[in-house]
Amino acid sequence: MVTTKNPPKKVSGKSATAAKPHRKKKVESGFETLFEREKAVRELIARTCLTMDAYDFNGYLDLCHDDYQYTITTYSPELRKDILWLDHDKVGMKTLLDVLPLHASDHFLRLTMSRHLSVYTVDYSDADTLAWAVSGLQVFNTAKDGGVTELLSVAKYFDKVALEDGKASMLSREVRLDTRMLGETGSLIPF
Amino acid sequence: MPRTGAQWKSKPNLPSTHYVDSQIYTDQSLFEEEREKIFEKVWSLVCHESEVPKAYDYRRCQHMSGKELLVIRGKDMKIRTFYNQCPHRGNVIAFEPSGNAKRLTCIFHLWSFDTKGNSVEITREKEGFQDRLSKKDVGLREVKTDLGAGGFVWVNINDDCEPLEDFIDGSLDCFQHEFSTKPLEIISYHKTIVPTNYKLWHDTNRELYHEYLHRHNRMVAVSQPGYFDRLYHIFGNGHMSADPMDTRYDAYEGYGGEQRKLGWPGGGDTIHKFSDLFPTMTFNLRPPALRIDTMVPLGPDKTIIEYRGLGIKGDTPAERAERFCDHNAVWGPFGRNLSEDQIAVVGQMIAIRTGRNSSYILHGREENGAHDDICLRHYYGEWSERMGRSAADPFNEQAAVAAE
Repeated sequence: MVTTKNPPKKVSGKSATAAKPHRKKKVESGFETLFEREKAVRELIARTCLTMDAYDFNGYLDLCHDDYQYTITTYSPELRKDILWLDHDKVGMKTLLDVLPLHASDHFLRLTMSRHLSVYTVDYSDADTLAWAVSGLQVFNTAKDGGVTELLSVAKYFDKVALEDGKASMLSREVRLDTRMLGETGSLIPF
Repeated sequence: MPRTGAQWKSKPNLPSTHYVDSQIYTDQSLFEEEREKIFEKVWSLVCHESEVPKAYDYRRCQHMSGKELLVIRGKDMKIRTFYNQCPHRGNVIAFEPSGNAKRLTCIFHLWSFDTKGNSVEITREKEGFQDRLSKKDVGLREVKTDLGAGGFVWVNINDDCEPLEDFIDGSLDCFQHEFSTKPLEIISYHKTIVPTNYKLWHDTNRELYHEYLHRHNRMVAVSQPGYFDRLYHIFGNGHMSADPMDTRYDAYEGYGGEQRKLGWPGGGDTIHKFSDLFPTMTFNLRPPALRIDTMVPLGPDKTIIEYRGLGIKGDTPAERAERFCDHNAVWGPFGRNLSEDQIAVVGQMIAIRTGRNSSYILHGREENGAHDDICLRHYYGEWSERMGRSAADPFNEQAAVAAE
């Protein structure tokens, strides 16, 4: 039911990044240097947060591959099993995001949502056309009237990124929540 | 026209059954009285039998009175409930929300108990207590437990309570087929601590016209034929149910124009029905999933709301995935409806927590249909009777003014 975290690809026990020093090499991904590739992956992850923080849902979807899969998961100690709180492909995600402005949402009414991100690891496939990234995520709510900021959730992103023609696009994202009680009202807006 | 301060505080020109004083949502002394006169007296739903499916499975629960409970299935497969409290020095026995244990052992001094609540181990018993106290004197405190229709676990901490069936008084009969055709199974659980009064959440679950709040419900229900013809049915002890309605999921953009295909055994494929039981429980069936709300009021302005989603035991993986997906799209923590309801009751509490300077809340609609307030009037009639106070005038202030 729940997607498994993408196994990071290792080369001889070291990450691909560590195994391949900076050097020019024409690869299938279209990126000529490891630096460019790494920068593209990290910027992609950051831009998914920035677009969602700005409620720029179309901008967010533009960052996603046509085969995009998005899930929000967590572990329930009450039921002693993983549970899946949201599960959409790109079409489903667009349907969801298109309809959200028609709903009454705390994040349109009285709060602003802010995603704070730290990319922990990035690993690559042998052909350099795929990357797996693990990031720490903290989501904050800031009140529009008083500036009070509260932590809404602590989570991790497990991302799979497609690297094609010199461009990075999000292939899949699992948002794995540590915090299961999401503030006072939950959230209509995906993380 | 706008009203002056005096007009704002004057009682509505309606019968006293048709409004309540907002102090019943904010006053600490009334809340303490509710604990004594209501929460510790009535039956409450604490979990579903599928949360403890195997022998020795346990589930830690919090009773609406605030008491810590432990629901456990014994080797004999009977479900029993105890205070989750060691009789020695008062520590909680089970810290985990759920687990499996043949013996319940307190971490503090290693006193142990079996699944029937018997004390089976007192460390250095003879040395410490000689013959003055023994295991037979220090069993766990058992709580009355009954399995209701659908496999729900009900408890009552009042040893002299009425039978569960008498308390429910037929208010769940509308689910008779849905609860008996196939066994139910829990598929989702989460909770939220909401800064609001528990009665405000229950009010929202009871009255249907808050559905104007929800884009989802406006499209799939309110704008559909027959919606306003639904009638409420009231039962003893403050409970109610409403006529079922065929729901048009394909009218909501968020479903991509598709009607739901997977129904519920014993019921219609798209028939929405619900029952609300006094004081804190809601049964809400919108196939393919059933939602159960229960509450633990922590104070007049703070409430734990627990949400359970249920499907059918024996679902295929595809069926289970569909129930799960549809349940969470509307009622999950990221669902469209749940968050909106919570925003509404938080907003109510922000506005009325000014206490004695606050206003009256109106329950005055009489239209013999889906938007009639009879369901709220019935609830507050029960509340007033159990509290020995009028919900419209809980501190007899109107009577005092009239006497002057």
